[in-house]
Amino acid sequence: MSSSGGSREEILGRIRRATESAVPDPAASYAALQRYYVRVGRVGVDERVALMIERMREYDAEVVETAPESLPETIAAQLAASGRHTFVAPEGLPATWMPAGFEWMIDRGLSTGEIEKADGVVTAAFCGIADSGTIVLHHSAAEGRRVISLLPDWHLCVLRASDVVETLPEYFARCTKAPGLATYISGPSATADIEMTRIKGVHGPRFLHLIFVRDERA
Amino acid sequence: MSNPVLEGQSAGASHPILDPVKAPPFPEAAFTILRNTQLRKNVAHATDVIQGKRNKLVEEKADWQELRAAGSALRNHVLENLGHYLEQFEERCTAAGGVVHWARDADEARAIILEILRQEQATEVIKIKTMTSAEIQLNPAIEAAGIKAFETDLAEIILQLGEDEPSHIVVPALHVNRTQVREIFARRMNRPELTDDPTELTGAARSFLREKFLRVPTAISGANFLIAETGSVVIVESEGNGRMCLTLPRTMITLAGIEKVIPRFQDLEIMLQVLARSATGERMNPYSSLWTGVTPGDGPQRFHVVLLDNGRSEILGKERERQTLKCIRCGACMNTCPVYRQTGGHAYGSVYAGPIGAILTPQLMRLEHAQTLPYASSLCGACYDVCPVKINIPEILIDLRAKVTDKEREEERRFFDPMYLGMIVANFLFASPRRFRLAQRMGRFGLRLFTRKDGWIHSLPSIGARWTMTRDLRGLPRETFREWWAGRAAPGGKRGR
Repeated sequence: MSSSGGSREEILGRIRRATESAVPDPAASYAALQRYYVRVGRVGVDERVALMIERMREYDAEVVETAPESLPETIAAQLAASGRHTFVAPEGLPATWMPAGFEWMIDRGLSTGEIEKADGVVTAAFCGIADSGTIVLHHSAAEGRRVISLLPDWHLCVLRASDVVETLPEYFARCTKAPGLATYISGPSATADIEMTRIKGVHGPRFLHLIFVRDERA
Repeated sequence: MSNPVLEGQSAGASHPILDPVKAPPFPEAAFTILRNTQLRKNVAHATDVIQGKRNKLVEEKADWQELRAAGSALRNHVLENLGHYLEQFEERCTAAGGVVHWARDADEARAIILEILRQEQATEVIKIKTMTSAEIQLNPAIEAAGIKAFETDLAEIILQLGEDEPSHIVVPALHVNRTQVREIFARRMNRPELTDDPTELTGAARSFLREKFLRVPTAISGANFLIAETGSVVIVESEGNGRMCLTLPRTMITLAGIEKVIPRFQDLEIMLQVLARSATGERMNPYSSLWTGVTPGDGPQRFHVVLLDNGRSEILGKERERQTLKCIRCGACMNTCPVYRQTGGHAYGSVYAGPIGAILTPQLMRLEHAQTLPYASSLCGACYDVCPVKINIPEILIDLRAKVTDKEREEERRFFDPMYLGMIVANFLFASPRRFRLAQRMGRFGLRLFTRKDGWIHSLPSIGARWTMTRDLRGLPRETFREWWAGRAAPGGKRGR
């Protein structure tokens, strides 16, 4: 390969000479960095969920709430209302989340061609961030591979109220370990490249639906 | 130019040149563009909209200044310890299955990428918007190697199909309006039935690219952030073309400037909060993606990162200029700049336009080219106010102006430059009160020839025309303040002085 070790040494050498005056202990100086911004949210779970719903509706996502025991019916109702029939499911999606009456394609290494043919996809989520209306996927077994929440035009995501945090720093505080893969979704695919007019649905799913499972109440 | 669509949107009737080596000086390029009313209307509209959204969201963020301070401190810390974090990134990325390459300059970066494409036997590549790739003029090199490069960002498709160039780092086609987009798509996608409805135009781009996403096995991206702690790459976008490119192909090549690294995953809690608000006026952009090397069964199974120096380590070594490298490419300084808002991006002759371009481009060119850019500013300081990582752009502009002047002083051509000669004369006159008074008297006499009855000068010859070309100059009054003071009757009946 044309990237010789010579270039690496030369660049690192130049950097070292350019930063000679720097403090010798990066860890200590990193720890001393000041972070005075808001890290912890202030509102209870009800307000948090209400804020998340408000933010998501601002960018045209559909949101419904449900009690934990009625989740399967709520999913069935959403799927039926979509008028769609074939859905992709991540391998780890709970069986009760896959109501009868629809065609389910469970992702055990589906090809892109197969996924492309599906009408929609149902996944879980790692958490939600109310402040920005963001859904976080870490692509666990119930959240699925990245491709399945990308190609289908319709994405239904199930999120528990107890997994909603208010601020972005609270999400990072929740991550005991940095994820290897992560996707942060704040609205359906959109562009404003033509005269700053916001258009929904360029390449990712054009329709984003969220079911809030109210497992926790104030 | 044979292309009627492009006429009137680029610099005059010629293709915009974004290679600082070949581009005309800023005043020359700007002069042509300023007569293009359509382009100015498009740029003003777009920058107004983004700025309005950005200001509203920054206002609602009670801890904005604390976030800025933290972002600034973090980016400073990275630059002070750049070698440490790059080595850490390399180690972790390699451990996760990525291949890390180091490129001293644009030539080497292009050679590395072309070599990877050869090994992949690639005939086509799909690209996520990357300004760094434009910096190293990658697309022409790829095309010259017989490989077809498809841009996938909507704005970039508009530019690629329209044979135009980006004029903004976040919204690269903001100088093109819907009618012009419709013309380009109708002709190049062979879709004469298209109307200028943005929804329909976006739909046309979606179907045009869908098949390419599913078919082309090699992708090229830039990077918003590299995370040293984990070896991960982060890409921030809106449309989903990024997700397509970083999920579907077999091979991914990421080109990133060496300054893009941040220490830890958690540091994104600062960067993501300031970036989207500053760049597009959103609380969070629709999609952000993070990946780490290669994940079996999910996404590209071959992953390369090319770390690009290309003049950055030199900037790093300069005390005041170092902060240029803190930039996270949000474009907020461009939207707020009174100069950029008039000229748009093409006048800057570089992919990096606006205030950040005015300091970055001349430095990347080692002041051998783009020497006029540090002067493309009124030094009003608006760029510093909006910068989410607090880069003191006016300070660097002034410093670069001094350096440009020092450099020019050594050059022969100074003897033929009226500005230079004028400065020598001014220096001589201002050095003595007697000479200054004499010059004032002579100036008053000389300028009387050009002063109209209304007391204004509407047109001056030679170098003075640079001023009167766009505005009038008030004629000199009959006496100076000092003359009036000396000649006035003091209250006590005594003469002042």
